[in-house]
Order: sequence, then structure tokens, then C-alpha cells
Amino acid sequence: MKKIVEIALGIVTSVGGFLEIGSIATAAQAGADFSFQLIWTILLGGLCIIFLVEQAGRFSAVSGRTIPDAIRERFGFNYFAFLYIVLALVSLLVLAAEIGGVCIALELATGIHFQWWTVPAAFVIWLVMWKGTFGVIEKGVSLLGLVTLCFVVGAYVINPPVGQVLRGALPSLPQHDSAHYWFVAVSILGATISPYLYFFYSSGAIEDEWNEGHVGINRIIATGGMTFGSVISVAVLVLAAMIFAPQGVKVEHYTQLPQLLVPVFGYWGYWLLVASVGIACLGAALEITLEIAYFTAQGFGWNWSENQRPRDEARFAAAYTLTIILAALITITGIDPLKITIFSMALTAATLPVSIVPFLFLMNDYSYVRVYRNGWFSNAVVIAIISIAFVLAVVSIPLQIFGGS
Amino acid sequence: MFALNGLPIGRLEEIRTEINKGHCFVSEFLVGSYAMLERLAAWRIGRALLRVFRAKRKEGYRIRWDQLDLSDPRHLRLLCDVEELMPLREEQYPT
Amino acid sequence: MNLVRDCLDKQIDDRFKRRMGRVDGIVLEVEPGRPPRVAYIELGVKTLMNRLSSRLGNAIAHLLESRHIESAPYRVPWVKIKVGLNEVRADVEAEKTPALEWELWLRKKVIGRIPGA
Repeated sequence: MKKIVEIALGIVTSVGGFLEIGSIATAAQAGADFSFQLIWTILLGGLCIIFLVEQAGRFSAVSGRTIPDAIRERFGFNYFAFLYIVLALVSLLVLAAEIGGVCIALELATGIHFQWWTVPAAFVIWLVMWKGTFGVIEKGVSLLGLVTLCFVVGAYVINPPVGQVLRGALPSLPQHDSAHYWFVAVSILGATISPYLYFFYSSGAIEDEWNEGHVGINRIIATGGMTFGSVISVAVLVLAAMIFAPQGVKVEHYTQLPQLLVPVFGYWGYWLLVASVGIACLGAALEITLEIAYFTAQGFGWNWSENQRPRDEARFAAAYTLTIILAALITITGIDPLKITIFSMALTAATLPVSIVPFLFLMNDYSYVRVYRNGWFSNAVVIAIISIAFVLAVVSIPLQIFGGS
Repeated sequence: MFALNGLPIGRLEEIRTEINKGHCFVSEFLVGSYAMLERLAAWRIGRALLRVFRAKRKEGYRIRWDQLDLSDPRHLRLLCDVEELMPLREEQYPT
Repeated sequence: MNLVRDCLDKQIDDRFKRRMGRVDGIVLEVEPGRPPRVAYIELGVKTLMNRLSSRLGNAIAHLLESRHIESAPYRVPWVKIKVGLNEVRADVEAEKTPALEWELWLRKKVIGRIPGA
């Protein structure tokens, strides 16, 4: 029974961070612009992230090390520094987008412009980090995040054409506006295969004191959690396809997002959307902040843990404080959070190879993973994901220029 | 790393040491793609990748401590001919 | 033992198993006619930046010195080091070494002064 509860909680918490402003915005855009055609990108991204998250969790459970630890140890400081700079810059932008997402939710709730909410939102994020433990952050916010199930309920209630939904699960070529189609596809993949997800999961395994006995649970949690998150993303796309696409409405402003749920739930749809966006973005903001701080502390060998008092890990605490301040400074400029979101997703896609290539080596390193090394199938999957990542890296910025909104 | 004639022979990837009377002494310097795999502890996957890409580059060398001039750490130079170096071979690594 | 694979960039824990940093550098002592001897491991931002570029390392050192901050790396004699599988243990007490200088300074001057720390 205890194991079932642990697995169920693990699945719910691993959804947290998956659904955030990036996946909501890109799925909504995809549904509005291309109806059901881009469901396959969410499924493809979901499949990739399942493998990466499972391997990250397995690595940490068996080795007692996080992925960033091992990247510094195996690949040396030069590679780590390059990866760190790239990831920190991209993650800061994503974090700015998530803080923006929280602020958007508050603007939708109160009518007060999102810029005014930047400082309070950033302060709340910092306060949760300062006073909360890993368990509170991981489980508390994720349980609240169950409100995002309203998208799944809404997608069911709106009664989409099943045949078209299933056809959308298969890869297809665009019927119009090719550059924009592939740009949205790349953005969805960037939103789904987010490095912070598997790095955070790896650190979380250490925080939760996982060991070899958790290898099986890890597989279930990674698969269940990422599948759950993918289903919610698909639901957002389906809603956008049913509501925006028939009217030729393009998703260009966050104030359009409540339209995803109002036709289904009426008045409560508005508040469900506000709650979903606010909580999902808060959860993602906490995860990304932690991921940047973890990456910094682990890479430089500092003391780190969200379960310790800030004074016992002063550099770690300073790292996440500075991270939140820098990201908030971006948000407070008033740049449209939707634009930051779409741009940061494309940038994430462009930088994927540097964070995924190490998996191929680390998951075959006997001194870390021992008998839990990757078999030929897992290695083949990682190589396939690396290939996809390299394609994304090459095409994402040109597509941003020619196909971005 | 440079040969006697000034031509580069590869990058220093790894340093093997031995313990003697409580002190740690350098025994060999390793250069080349196999040396890099040893440094990354990536022999299994790395060899497979090298085979797939049919890497024609030299696998590398084992350079004894007395075959290398360490007076300028940024410009390491051999003290012998390249032919005198022991090559790094696939047989030396576990399968 | 392989110096790069087994020692360099590894997490160092002190004698009480507390994290004190990473092996940022390894110092070899070279004497004519004798094999180079591993003398110290180094921790410090200057050592780290030197690995990226010596110009960067010198610039960082200059910046620190201009603010009267010690820039010389902290060296732990090899005799106090024990290298295990993916871990390095130093027979020192981390808080009494320069390795945690920044940690202690931040604790005392910044983080420790914020309520709830």
C-alpha cells in the first residue's frame, strides 16, 4: 500500500514542471493554427522525455550522484562551464516566462497589469524556496497542480472528432504555412524535452534519498508522470483545435487563454484557467529555480539541499536568490511573456544536444551505474534522441526567424 | 603535445600514476582517442561509436614519464621519436 | 590510478564527510631524473578559470586582489588525500580551511542576516 501511495505521489509530482506556460502556449498555438495535426509532436516529445527522465532517475538512484555532478566529473570543467552558461541563460529566460505566467494568471484574476505582479510573485517563489523543504515544493505544489486536469475534462466534454485526433497522433506534413508549422513543432519539442526536467528529477532522486531499490519505482514514476503531463498538453491542443481553429483565431496574446475553458465550463472555466496557469507556472518556476541552483552548487561542489537551512548552505541559497532576481528583472521589463515563452522554447530546442549527449556516456559508465547500465535498446533510443536534438539545434533559430509569430 | 620535429601528436588526455612508498608518482601520459575514452571511462560505448564512424585516427600513445619534457607545461614536447612510443591498443581494454 | 578520470573534478569531502568543493587542479612536482610526483590538489576560482584560459585566470586574480581578496588557490597536500571510487576525501576540517571562505562570509554577512535563515 505504501509503495502504491509512493508511486501515485511520484507520478503526480513528476507532472509538476511538465505542464507550464511553455507547453500551454505552444499546444494552444498548435491547436489554433493547425488543428489536430501537431499532436504527434507532443507524443514524440513525451516519449523522449520519458526515456531521459527514467535514465536520470536510475542514474542518481544507483550512483548516489546527480547528472550535473557526473557531467563535471567525467567531462571536465571546460565542458561543464560551456553547458552551464548555455543552460543558465536559457533556463533564466524560461524562468522569466514562468514568473510571467504566474503574473498573467494574477492579471487575469485581478485586472491589474502583470508587470505589477512581478515583484510579489518573485517574492513568493523566493519565500517558498527559503522556508520550504523539497517535499513541500515537490509534493505540495504538484498536488495543487491537479487542477490542470480541467483541461483533460474539458477536452473530453467538448467531444472532439476521435478520428482526427488519432490521425493527429501520426506524423504528417503541413498543408499550409510550412515554416510556421515546423516552427511550432520545434517549439513544442523544446517545451516538452526541457533539460530542467531531467536535471531536476535527478537532483530530486538524491533529495528523496533514492537507492537501487527505487529503480523499478523510478521507471513507473517517470513513465506515468511524463505520460500524464503529455495527456494534459494534448488536451490543451485539442481544446484550441476545437475552439480557436474553426474561427481562424490565432493565439497571440495570453488574454485569449481563458477562451480554452470558458466555452466548456462557462464562468468557472475562466477561474479554472487562471488557477491552472498560475499553479502550473508557480510549480515550474520553483523547479527551474531549484534546477539552476542545483546545477550551480553541484557543479562547483558546494553544499546543497532544499532540506537544509539556508544558513547551512549559504552559496546555494545565494544562487537561487540571485536566479529569481535576474529572472524577475526580465519579466518586469514588460516584454510580452508569451513572446518570451515562444522564444525560450525555440532556444531550448537549439541547445538540447549539449545536455543530452552526456547521457550516452554516463548511462554506460560502470563505475556509476554498475549492472543498471543501458542495454542496446536504451542506447539506441538515446542516440535517436540526440539525432533529433541535433536536427532541432540546426533548424530552430532559422525557423524562429522565418516561421515564428 | 608535440613531437621532436614540432608536429603535434595529440592532446594529453590522461595521466596514469602508481603508488610507491605512500607517494603517488606519474608513470605514463596518454594521448589520442583511446586515451580520451579512458579518461571518460567510456570504453564500451566509445569503442562502438568509433567503429560505427570507422574512425581512422590513431588510437593513441602511452608516453613514459621520462619521454616527455615538462619544463613548459603549455607546450609539452617529446624527448624521443614518435616511433619509440608504445601505442594504445584495443586489446589493452576490457571487452 | 588515473589522475584525470579518478581525481580531477571530483567532489571533495572533508574528514566529517562535509562537501568542501571539487578538485579544481592537481599540482605535480617535477625533479630532474625522477618521475613527477603528485604534490597537491588545488581548489579555487583562479585554478578553475586558468583551465578555461590563462588570461581569464589572471584577470580574475587581478580583480580579486584589487578588492583585497585572497586569490591564491587553496592547496591540500596529497598525503592528506584519499581517492575512492568517484569520490575524494581530504583529511582536513573544511570550515577551518580557505575552501569555505565564501560560504562562511555569505553565511555571516548576507544569508545569515535574512530572517528565517
